[in-house]
Amino acid sequence: MTVKEKFANIWLVTMVLTYGGYFAAIVLLGETDFMSQIWLFSATAFAQMIILGVSNAFGLFQKSKGLRSDERDRLIEQRATHIAYNILIFGFVVVGCLMPFSDTGWKQFQAGVFFIALSEIVRHGVIVHMYRQGWHA
Amino acid sequence: MPEYRLVNNLKTLRFMANEMSQAELGERIGLTRQTIAAIEAGKYSPTLETAFKIATLFDKRLEDIFQWVCE
Repeated sequence: MTVKEKFANIWLVTMVLTYGGYFAAIVLLGETDFMSQIWLFSATAFAQMIILGVSNAFGLFQKSKGLRSDERDRLIEQRATHIAYNILIFGFVVVGCLMPFSDTGWKQFQAGVFFIALSEIVRHGVIVHMYRQGWHA
Repeated sequence: MPEYRLVNNLKTLRFMANEMSQAELGERIGLTRQTIAAIEAGKYSPTLETAFKIATLFDKRLEDIFQWVCE
Protein backbone atom coordinates (compact mmCIF):
# COMPACT_ATOMS: atom_id res chain seq x y z
CA MET A 1 0.00 0.00 0.00
CA THR A 2 1.44 3.37 -0.99
CA VAL A 3 1.57 6.23 1.48
CA LYS A 4 -0.96 8.08 -0.66
CA GLU A 5 -3.38 5.16 -0.48
CA LYS A 6 -2.87 4.89 3.27
CA PHE A 7 -3.43 8.64 3.65
CA ALA A 8 -6.65 8.44 1.60
CA ASN A 9 -7.89 5.56 3.79
CA ILE A 10 -7.20 7.43 7.03
CA TRP A 11 -8.67 10.67 5.69
CA LEU A 12 -11.81 8.85 4.50
CA VAL A 13 -12.39 7.18 7.86
CA THR A 14 -11.71 10.45 9.68
CA MET A 15 -14.19 12.39 7.53
CA VAL A 16 -16.90 9.75 7.87
CA LEU A 17 -16.46 9.52 11.65
CA THR A 18 -16.25 13.23 12.43
CA TYR A 19 -18.73 14.68 9.94
CA GLY A 20 -21.01 11.64 10.25
CA GLY A 21 -21.11 12.39 13.97
CA TYR A 22 -21.58 16.10 13.32
CA PHE A 23 -24.59 15.67 11.04
CA ALA A 24 -26.08 12.96 13.26
CA ALA A 25 -25.89 15.43 16.16
CA ILE A 26 -27.44 18.19 14.01
CA VAL A 27 -30.38 15.93 13.11
CA LEU A 28 -30.85 14.68 16.68
CA LEU A 29 -30.55 18.09 18.35
CA GLY A 30 -32.69 19.95 15.81
CA GLU A 31 -32.84 23.72 16.25
CA THR A 32 -30.16 24.85 18.70
CA ASP A 33 -28.74 28.19 19.79
CA PHE A 34 -25.77 29.97 18.22
CA MET A 35 -23.18 28.88 20.80
CA SER A 36 -24.18 25.21 20.60
CA GLN A 37 -23.75 25.30 16.84
CA ILE A 38 -20.33 26.94 17.16
CA TRP A 39 -19.29 24.44 19.84
CA LEU A 40 -20.46 21.47 17.80
CA PHE A 41 -18.63 22.56 14.67
CA SER A 42 -15.45 23.38 16.61
CA ALA A 43 -15.57 19.99 18.34
CA THR A 44 -15.90 18.27 14.96
CA ALA A 45 -12.95 20.15 13.46
CA PHE A 46 -10.92 19.47 16.63
CA ALA A 47 -11.76 15.75 16.55
CA GLN A 48 -10.62 15.63 12.94
CA MET A 49 -7.31 17.27 13.83
CA ILE A 50 -6.83 14.87 16.76
CA ILE A 51 -7.37 11.77 14.61
CA LEU A 52 -5.00 13.00 11.89
CA GLY A 53 -2.48 14.13 14.51
CA VAL A 54 -2.53 10.75 16.27
CA SER A 55 -2.15 8.99 12.89
CA ASN A 56 0.87 11.16 12.19
CA ALA A 57 2.29 10.55 15.67
CA PHE A 58 2.10 6.79 15.07
CA GLY A 59 4.20 7.31 11.96
CA LEU A 60 1.50 6.50 9.40
CA PHE A 61 2.45 9.45 7.21
CA GLN A 62 6.18 9.20 7.90
CA LYS A 63 7.22 8.10 4.44
CA SER A 64 5.22 10.81 2.72
CA LYS A 65 8.21 13.16 2.94
CA GLY A 66 10.25 12.93 -0.22
CA LEU A 67 8.07 10.27 -1.81
CA ARG A 68 7.29 11.39 -5.31
CA SER A 69 4.03 10.81 -7.13
CA ASP A 70 4.13 8.82 -10.30
CA GLU A 71 1.72 8.83 -13.25
CA ARG A 72 -0.71 6.38 -11.62
CA ASP A 73 -0.97 8.49 -8.46
CA ARG A 74 -1.58 11.62 -10.53
CA LEU A 75 -4.22 10.00 -12.76
CA ILE A 76 -6.11 8.61 -9.78
CA GLU A 77 -5.90 11.97 -8.01
CA GLN A 78 -7.17 13.81 -11.12
CA ARG A 79 -10.10 11.43 -11.61
CA ALA A 80 -11.14 11.62 -7.95
CA THR A 81 -10.84 15.41 -7.88
CA HIS A 82 -12.94 15.71 -11.05
CA ILE A 83 -15.79 13.67 -9.52
CA ALA A 84 -15.59 15.60 -6.22
CA TYR A 85 -15.58 18.90 -8.11
CA ASN A 86 -18.93 18.06 -9.71
CA ILE A 87 -20.43 17.38 -6.29
CA LEU A 88 -19.00 20.63 -4.97
CA ILE A 89 -20.45 22.61 -7.89
CA PHE A 90 -23.86 21.01 -7.35
CA GLY A 91 -23.60 21.91 -3.67
CA PHE A 92 -22.67 25.47 -4.52
CA VAL A 93 -25.76 25.79 -6.76
CA VAL A 94 -28.00 24.43 -3.99
CA VAL A 95 -26.45 26.47 -1.15
CA GLY A 96 -25.58 29.67 -2.99
CA CYS A 97 -28.32 29.95 -5.58
CA LEU A 98 -31.37 28.05 -4.33
CA MET A 99 -31.24 28.09 -0.53
CA PRO A 100 -31.23 31.90 -0.11
CA PHE A 101 -34.86 31.84 -1.33
CA SER A 102 -35.97 29.33 1.32
CA ASP A 103 -33.42 28.92 4.15
CA THR A 104 -30.73 31.17 5.55
CA GLY A 105 -28.38 31.25 8.55
CA TRP A 106 -27.31 27.99 10.12
CA LYS A 107 -29.26 25.78 7.71
CA GLN A 108 -27.39 27.33 4.81
CA PHE A 109 -24.09 26.99 6.67
CA GLN A 110 -24.75 23.33 7.47
CA ALA A 111 -25.74 22.60 3.89
CA GLY A 112 -22.46 24.18 2.77
CA VAL A 113 -20.46 22.10 5.25
CA PHE A 114 -22.40 19.02 4.16
CA PHE A 115 -21.47 19.41 0.51
CA ILE A 116 -17.82 20.20 1.31
CA ALA A 117 -17.61 17.12 3.56
CA LEU A 118 -19.44 14.99 0.99
CA SER A 119 -17.12 16.02 -1.83
CA GLU A 120 -14.06 15.23 0.31
CA ILE A 121 -15.50 11.86 1.34
CA VAL A 122 -16.25 11.03 -2.29
CA ARG A 123 -12.79 12.19 -3.39
CA HIS A 124 -10.96 10.00 -0.90
CA GLY A 125 -13.44 7.16 -1.43
CA VAL A 126 -12.75 7.21 -5.18
CA ILE A 127 -8.98 7.25 -4.53
CA VAL A 128 -9.24 4.24 -2.21
CA HIS A 129 -11.50 2.42 -4.68
CA MET A 130 -9.21 3.07 -7.65
CA TYR A 131 -6.10 1.90 -5.82
CA ARG A 132 -7.88 -1.32 -4.87
CA GLN A 133 -9.82 -2.09 -8.02
CA GLY A 134 -7.34 -0.72 -10.51
CA TRP A 135 -7.38 2.09 -13.01
CA HIS A 136 -7.56 1.93 -16.78
CA ALA A 137 -7.72 5.24 -18.63
CA MET B 1 -19.04 -6.47 -28.55
CA PRO B 2 -16.05 -8.55 -27.41
CA GLU B 3 -14.17 -7.42 -24.31
CA TYR B 4 -10.50 -6.60 -24.69
CA ARG B 5 -7.86 -6.13 -22.06
CA LEU B 6 -4.20 -5.31 -21.86
CA VAL B 7 -1.91 -8.11 -20.67
CA ASN B 8 1.84 -8.09 -20.27
CA ASN B 9 4.80 -10.33 -19.55
CA LEU B 10 6.69 -7.84 -17.46
CA LYS B 11 7.25 -10.31 -14.67
CA THR B 12 8.98 -12.77 -17.01
CA LEU B 13 11.11 -10.03 -18.52
CA ARG B 14 12.18 -8.86 -15.08
CA PHE B 15 13.10 -12.39 -14.14
CA MET B 16 15.15 -12.80 -17.29
CA ALA B 17 16.94 -9.50 -16.67
CA ASN B 18 18.96 -10.81 -13.72
CA GLU B 19 15.83 -11.09 -11.57
CA MET B 20 15.36 -7.35 -11.50
CA SER B 21 13.13 -6.27 -8.62
CA GLN B 22 9.94 -4.24 -9.04
CA ALA B 23 11.55 -1.43 -7.07
CA GLU B 24 14.61 -1.40 -9.33
CA LEU B 25 12.52 -1.35 -12.49
CA GLY B 26 10.35 1.40 -11.02
CA GLU B 27 13.40 3.46 -10.14
CA ARG B 28 14.83 3.14 -13.64
CA ILE B 29 11.69 4.31 -15.40
CA GLY B 30 10.43 6.78 -12.78
CA LEU B 31 7.58 4.80 -11.21
CA THR B 32 6.94 3.49 -7.72
CA ARG B 33 7.20 -0.20 -6.86
CA GLN B 34 3.44 -0.26 -6.23
CA THR B 35 2.71 0.98 -9.75
CA ILE B 36 4.94 -1.71 -11.27
CA ALA B 37 3.05 -4.27 -9.17
CA ALA B 38 -0.28 -2.83 -10.39
CA ILE B 39 0.87 -3.02 -14.05
CA GLU B 40 1.95 -6.64 -13.61
CA ALA B 41 -1.35 -7.52 -11.95
CA GLY B 42 -3.30 -5.88 -14.79
CA LYS B 43 -4.74 -3.29 -12.43
CA TYR B 44 -3.20 -0.35 -14.22
CA SER B 45 -2.63 0.39 -17.90
CA PRO B 46 0.55 2.46 -18.23
CA THR B 47 0.78 5.51 -20.45
CA LEU B 48 2.32 5.14 -23.88
CA GLU B 49 5.42 6.96 -22.67
CA THR B 50 5.93 4.50 -19.83
CA ALA B 51 5.27 1.55 -22.12
CA PHE B 52 8.01 2.79 -24.46
CA LYS B 53 10.37 3.35 -21.53
CA ILE B 54 9.84 -0.27 -20.46
CA ALA B 55 10.32 -1.54 -24.00
CA THR B 56 13.52 0.47 -24.39
CA LEU B 57 14.86 -0.74 -21.06
CA PHE B 58 14.37 -4.40 -21.97
CA ASP B 59 15.34 -3.79 -25.61
CA LYS B 60 12.05 -5.22 -26.87
CA ARG B 61 9.24 -4.05 -29.11
CA LEU B 62 6.05 -2.83 -27.45
CA GLU B 63 4.02 -5.81 -28.69
CA ASP B 64 6.58 -8.20 -27.21
CA ILE B 65 5.71 -6.84 -23.78
CA PHE B 66 2.10 -5.70 -24.01
CA GLN B 67 -0.68 -7.55 -25.79
CA TRP B 68 -4.25 -6.46 -26.41
CA VAL B 69 -6.22 -9.68 -26.01
CA CYS B 70 -9.87 -10.56 -26.49
CA GLU B 71 -11.50 -12.30 -23.54
